[in-house]
Amino acid sequence: MDWSFGLTMTFAGMGITFITLYLLTLLIRLLNKLFPFKNGEEKKGKT
Amino acid sequence: MDAFIDALNSLGQGFMNLTWEAAVMILIGCVLLYLGIGRKIEPLLLVPIGFGVVLGNLPLANLGAQDQGGVINLLYTAGILTEIFPVLLFLGLGAMIDFGPMLANPVVLIFGAAGQFGIFITLLLALGLGFVEQEAVSIAVIGACDGPTAIYVTSKYARELLPAVSIAAYSYMALVPIIQPPIMRGMTTRKERETPMAAGEKQVSQRVKVLFPIIAGIATILIAPMGAPLMGMLMLGNLLKESGVVGRLVDVSQNTIANLVTLLLGLCIGASMLGGNFLTWDTLLVFALGFIAISMDTVFGMLLGKLMRVLSKGKINPLLGAAGTSAFPMSARVVQKEGQRANPRNFLLWHAIGANTGGQIGSVMAAAVMLAVLSGLGIGPLA
Repeated sequence: MDWSFGLTMTFAGMGITFITLYLLTLLIRLLNKLFPFKNGEEKKGKT
Repeated sequence: MDAFIDALNSLGQGFMNLTWEAAVMILIGCVLLYLGIGRKIEPLLLVPIGFGVVLGNLPLANLGAQDQGGVINLLYTAGILTEIFPVLLFLGLGAMIDFGPMLANPVVLIFGAAGQFGIFITLLLALGLGFVEQEAVSIAVIGACDGPTAIYVTSKYARELLPAVSIAAYSYMALVPIIQPPIMRGMTTRKERETPMAAGEKQVSQRVKVLFPIIAGIATILIAPMGAPLMGMLMLGNLLKESGVVGRLVDVSQNTIANLVTLLLGLCIGASMLGGNFLTWDTLLVFALGFIAISMDTVFGMLLGKLMRVLSKGKINPLLGAAGTSAFPMSARVVQKEGQRANPRNFLLWHAIGANTGGQIGSVMAAAVMLAVLSGLGIGPLA
């Protein structure tokens, strides 16, 4: 078994997936702070 | 008279050329049709797949996915080998998904990462069982719980495993309501499952909903460009939906494209399940490893759920961890059901849908990272 391939893939794969999703949570928080929901928005902006 | 007998002989050629492997596959095709039509299990997939299996294994019909020049071979070559079908399916998926619950409670996005852990455990197991790197990656992606992603990766790197991987991926997605609950109950106490969470329905600004697919699409593609076709189409579909200005495109993405591609994809996958390449030991191993992958996704999701419960001082129900898979919306429904079973006043669906959509993003990211690592190591598709 090619352990170096398997472990590289596991650590890189899991690590980058976790980091990316964590960065996305920060991005969403930032967007929510910049553009908070305002009452009445639902009526005019809903798809 | 001789000409008449020759004509009759040619009519029986199909029977003469029917091998036992083809007969078994035709029987399997009929079982899939029964499950789809009779039992209504994933009929949108099982009916075209089942009929594709029957057509592809009929001798001399030239309808197998590998029968050069045949109608299904043309569709298979144009739609699956070029990866267009799974990519288009993501456009439809994006147009159907509501990221609202995830945007309102972004912490649940992390569950979407834990829900991919099974991919990597399975990768190590597949390598240990002797599969080469490209095959191991393709089998492991079953753990993404995401049919189009599994097809996308496998059609790129290990085409000979495509029938087994795609059938396993879709089968286990459908079996999530059976696979996940025992693991969820086994890994939590009743008290943990009873953990109440606010009913949700927190509102998110429409601007955030519009900006998210654009910014997240750019960021994730910059991080892992190999996943660009899937992530790009997912985010485009979602942007069409949230923009609110292209109703006709949303309609065609959600319905016409998604339905047409599902039909053709199912037919082609079915027609690629030929006796000679499907009735093998490797197929059984792929199914076994796929089961482990999805079980491990749930196990690691639950472990993260328990950790998050501790870190949040009891505010997060650990069952949400099971919704981090990409099986949308099956996993979210399972979480809701198990939550209410423990505490009838519990309403976890809104939070679980958020984790489940996070799983969609997580599965594409995990696949994209694996493709990037393969490419970085100079490992190309199998010949």
